[in-house]
Amino acid sequence: MGFRIGIDVGGTFTDFVLARPGGELVLSKVPTTLADQSLGVMQGLSALAAKEGLATRALLEATELVVHGTTTADNTLIEMNGAKVGLLTTEGHRDEIEIRRGYKEEIWDPAFPPPVPIAKRRHRFGIPERLDFRGNVVRKLDEEAVRTAVRRLRRDGIESIAVSFLFSFVNPSHELRARELIRQEHPDARVSLSHEVMPTAPEFERTSTTLVDAYVGPRVQTYLERLERALQEAGYRHDLLLMQSSGAIMTAAFLAGKAVAALGSGPTGGVMGACAAAQTAGVSDFIAIDMGGTSYEVCVVRKGRPTIKSFWNWQQRYLIGLPMVEMHAIGAGGGSIANVQAGALHVGPKSAKAEPGPICYGRGGVEPTVTDANVVLGYLNPEALCGGEFKLVSAGVRQAIAERIGKPLGLDVVEAAHGIFRIVNANMANAIRRVSSQAGLDPREFALVVYGGNGPVHAGKQAEELGIRKMLVPKTSPAFSALGLLIADYGVDLQRSYISPSGRASPGRIAELFREMQAQAESELRVAGLGPQDLELRRYLNLCYPGQTFDMSVPLAVSSVGGEIGAATLAATVAAFHDLHEELHTYAVREEEPILRSVRLQAAGRTPKPMVRRCPRLSTPVVEAVRSRRPAWFDGRFVDTPVYDGDRLGFGHRLAGPAIVEERFTTLVLYPGHTAELDEHGNYVVTVA
Amino acid sequence: MSAAAPRAPAPSVVFDPVTAEVIRGALETVAFEMATHVSLTATTPILNQSNERNATILDGRGRLAALSVGIPQFMLSSTLPVRFALDFFDQEGLHDGDVLVANDPYHGGGHLPDYNVFSPVLVDGRIALIASIQCHHADTGGGMPGGYNAEAIDVWAEGVRFPAVKVVDQGVERRDVLYMMKVNNRTPTFMGDLRAQIGAAQLGAKRLRELIAHYGVASVLHAVDHAIAYAARRFREEVASWPDGVYEADAFVDHDPVGNKDIRVHVRVTVQGDHLRVDFTGSDERQDLKAYSSFGNTRGYVVAQLATMMDPSIPKNEGFFDSIELIVPKGCCLNPSEGKTVAAGTHHPGVEVGEAIAKAMAVVLPERSCPQIYKLGMPTVIFGTHPETGQIFVDHSVDCLAAYCNAVKGQDGWGSMPASFGNLIRATAEINESIFPVRHECCDYATDTGGAGQWRGCPGSRVVKRVTAPAAVSTYMVGMKYPMSGVAGGRDGSPNRLIVRVGTEHAAHVACMANGVPHAAGEAFEYVYGGGGGWGDPLDRDPQCVLEDVLDEYVSAEAAEREYGVVLRGSAASGDLRLDREATEALRTANRRNP
Repeated sequence: MGFRIGIDVGGTFTDFVLARPGGELVLSKVPTTLADQSLGVMQGLSALAAKEGLATRALLEATELVVHGTTTADNTLIEMNGAKVGLLTTEGHRDEIEIRRGYKEEIWDPAFPPPVPIAKRRHRFGIPERLDFRGNVVRKLDEEAVRTAVRRLRRDGIESIAVSFLFSFVNPSHELRARELIRQEHPDARVSLSHEVMPTAPEFERTSTTLVDAYVGPRVQTYLERLERALQEAGYRHDLLLMQSSGAIMTAAFLAGKAVAALGSGPTGGVMGACAAAQTAGVSDFIAIDMGGTSYEVCVVRKGRPTIKSFWNWQQRYLIGLPMVEMHAIGAGGGSIANVQAGALHVGPKSAKAEPGPICYGRGGVEPTVTDANVVLGYLNPEALCGGEFKLVSAGVRQAIAERIGKPLGLDVVEAAHGIFRIVNANMANAIRRVSSQAGLDPREFALVVYGGNGPVHAGKQAEELGIRKMLVPKTSPAFSALGLLIADYGVDLQRSYISPSGRASPGRIAELFREMQAQAESELRVAGLGPQDLELRRYLNLCYPGQTFDMSVPLAVSSVGGEIGAATLAATVAAFHDLHEELHTYAVREEEPILRSVRLQAAGRTPKPMVRRCPRLSTPVVEAVRSRRPAWFDGRFVDTPVYDGDRLGFGHRLAGPAIVEERFTTLVLYPGHTAELDEHGNYVVTVA
Repeated sequence: MSAAAPRAPAPSVVFDPVTAEVIRGALETVAFEMATHVSLTATTPILNQSNERNATILDGRGRLAALSVGIPQFMLSSTLPVRFALDFFDQEGLHDGDVLVANDPYHGGGHLPDYNVFSPVLVDGRIALIASIQCHHADTGGGMPGGYNAEAIDVWAEGVRFPAVKVVDQGVERRDVLYMMKVNNRTPTFMGDLRAQIGAAQLGAKRLRELIAHYGVASVLHAVDHAIAYAARRFREEVASWPDGVYEADAFVDHDPVGNKDIRVHVRVTVQGDHLRVDFTGSDERQDLKAYSSFGNTRGYVVAQLATMMDPSIPKNEGFFDSIELIVPKGCCLNPSEGKTVAAGTHHPGVEVGEAIAKAMAVVLPERSCPQIYKLGMPTVIFGTHPETGQIFVDHSVDCLAAYCNAVKGQDGWGSMPASFGNLIRATAEINESIFPVRHECCDYATDTGGAGQWRGCPGSRVVKRVTAPAAVSTYMVGMKYPMSGVAGGRDGSPNRLIVRVGTEHAAHVACMANGVPHAAGEAFEYVYGGGGGWGDPLDRDPQCVLEDVLDEYVSAEAAEREYGVVLRGSAASGDLRLDREATEALRTANRRNP
């Protein structure tokens, strides 16, 4: 067994997790190279090899798996600097991408601007052609209209063309023919066909997803090809694998053809990492919270699995109809800016980001942030972060908080800093309450799994606020995104629309759709070296009640894959839908006939997991790990608080708050009444009294 | 009764601004939880996934402390029914564990389909807070199904009125009252939805008790005062930044459902320092209309419109509501005397309230004076017998389409509908065609329908729906004589235009009402929805933007010249469309001289 490497490119750092053949994990970070992320990746690999006492080539030749999480697709959508895109739709449906099913992000702001168009209206063409909902041709494809449109797009310098015709997922012939015509008229254009990107209704979701695929595709493809080449030239002999937004990994070659599935893969990796760490501690129902510099992300995990959502996923200003791990973000992080307006204190969502950053970064920031408050309160080391590598300055911090926050509120500097701390905690606790109420659960029955550079400073207060008793802060948490890459499985998640009142749905047609999807899954996963026998298949019907906007996946009620699908199967699945609806939404309307919207197949191919290595029990007295003491603000006064060196804490050590633990990439604040115990997997298991 | 959170510190009476802010956030979260509870537990699928629910927290005087809103226009009428209940029952008549229902437009409500359900939280025998949730229901009893009886002779014919009725008395359900409500409603899901609301109010009350146990009642009530004072301060700061003056405007409804024409809404807005007066004296006083906007509804539209004209971060609580001096003479179309019909009036003249305010304030608030309204009359309903099931189908046409999106200074109109309706998610062709025998042939923007202006109104859609089985089409139309108003010199948006049985010898324009117009299989109707109004003089629009608009076919080359005074050469098709700057300058100069 060789090395396995997870590489996650974030906004500031590129994180690496190396699993040695023996199972130990090695964490490392290098600065992200924004212009070409592959440079930072290759530099980081060299550094990693050096740490292992190997040449880069020797390391990569001995590596059997490189799994990568990239923000290339996300950045393209954030910066809106993707390809020049054209769109072909069914005539009469050219503008649905602008109409957006009526959705606008700000209901109180009439001056809120529209999204930057991926394809301007002049580059969107309605093509005479029409299918009915069964896929019958009502109007045949006007090939001349396609040619004329494509010539026009070519003339205007369009590089990438999305095609989204109504009901193409039932009968793709018009889209397929359109691709042939595009190839004839504009051979250099990349083509995204909606029935291939997302073969499901409805048309706005599918068109938006296809358009984004066309937009980010060329950049993602170029990047992946460059990185894969660099890795191979450096000695790596296997496929480069990538995290998808659904939490499953696939080959780079696959993702190059379906670039949109790479969106959001970074945060997804983080949640998968949290799942892996939680599993070692025997925690399966938890709320994962990630507090970085700018945002705070919340994800509910039940039975060890995050919720996957395939509807109404907005990424930047576009809708992605593919399955994505469900995350909720608010603007709360270390860089969140505090201000006083009309006598009320607000923190965030505006952030000082990495540049200029908090005042204490000494890079010209003048507005007080959460991190500045944490320095004043003694929670963070006032001299340096990251084990001393990242120096902080104290000049101006107290003064700015006193002037900008304390004075208008009539508070002294410490009260003002504590005010910032309390408001941001309240915002985060409210976010958890909202997410859990939407999921219909009581947060008190869940644990918190905490990560992100700033998460462990604040999480204890959120746990108190919410009545959560148990909290997990794994030592690996700063590299969760990279760790998650190493434990994810191969997977494809396929859907085919079949819209029909459930009683009128044909079992034969459903079986045919499953066969089609299974063939597709097998062919896609064959690229990753997996045969049909390696795949675990799960089949679902997506059902809803008449009038509902969104549907629900219900496992198909057959015991074995390949078992016959008949009327009884359908009836049993519909009965299960009523039950599931009652379980999740407290009621069922059994006299209503549910509508079948689509059928879904999940195919997973297990990857071997890094062997979990347990830490030996440390017998050194815990006081030997005390690095220093500093005054920190607890219960309304400064308390002389022990500061522990995380590197000297291990399995068996117990700590009682108030205490501060400085890990290399994060700081854990243990509040009075809280205790922490280190388990054999390097998790701080915090009990909130 | 109280379920204290663990480790509740001894309630202190120190009123610090940070604690107040923390409690304010917690109150808003309780409101959010109540609204979410309804979404998760309402038994009408269409209700639980739309956003027609509004949760509020009020104090013991019925002042709004916090809210969670779905669609502002439909939902800002929920405090007055609670105040009526407080007056009616008095302190001694309300207890912990009570839950009340109210829906009466003449006791603070908007219209009958909006049911308010609320529950008080008492401390030492005094009402401290009230948790309240409002939802739109599909039926109200009365003369016609659907809670929308355009033929009703009075409010009693519109449905059953509940001024303020206890359905739970100190924790004990009143079976008789609930049963009475059940038998007075046609829809089988009514009770399930009402129970979801009762559950939400009880959940809200429970959360509020926890909050009081944690912080102490004095701190919580101080936080409410703090939040209200904060909103009032922010509101007054905004008003103070506006120039003093008196601003007036009219808005009109084409006609009510029975054809009474030109219903006038007149507003006179007075800005004096930080004080704002909104006075509707002069609005239509005819007593024989079929459509009146109840006082609660009128007040809701005033608040909804003003809220979009201010910094979106100002909390919408009593401090906001209370800072508006609102004058609506009793007996006019916006505050009818008891008994008048209000179902249709909720929409028209209800929405014209917002339009009049936006028009009046355009000079003061150029960047935000955008009417948050629609000129829809009533959705176009298609009904018939589904050929495959033999059952009745009803397509309410909440389709993907664009209409009524005005521009504001600095921003062209865009998207589908005004910002306030951004939570209302519309149906799509692929879903609906699989369920109804109707084909969605077109919803494209219609060129030249957006009102011209320095900033252009969003075009309306040309919607064509063709039935594939015999069906009938019903609607009530407005916005033909009075389309969306242009603002500050911008042109009006295009008028609505509906042709039934389009392209056949029976084709006909709808003038006011369509009552079940039969369409044979294969026949279609064409509805060109009105565009948004423009903002500012079209001659001031950047010619480059006009060129872009023509390239994108939002505007035709002819309209570019006619409306904007922009002369173009070449054609988009041949790829050489370009601006003739000299000719444009000359034409604009001439047009300015002879407007």
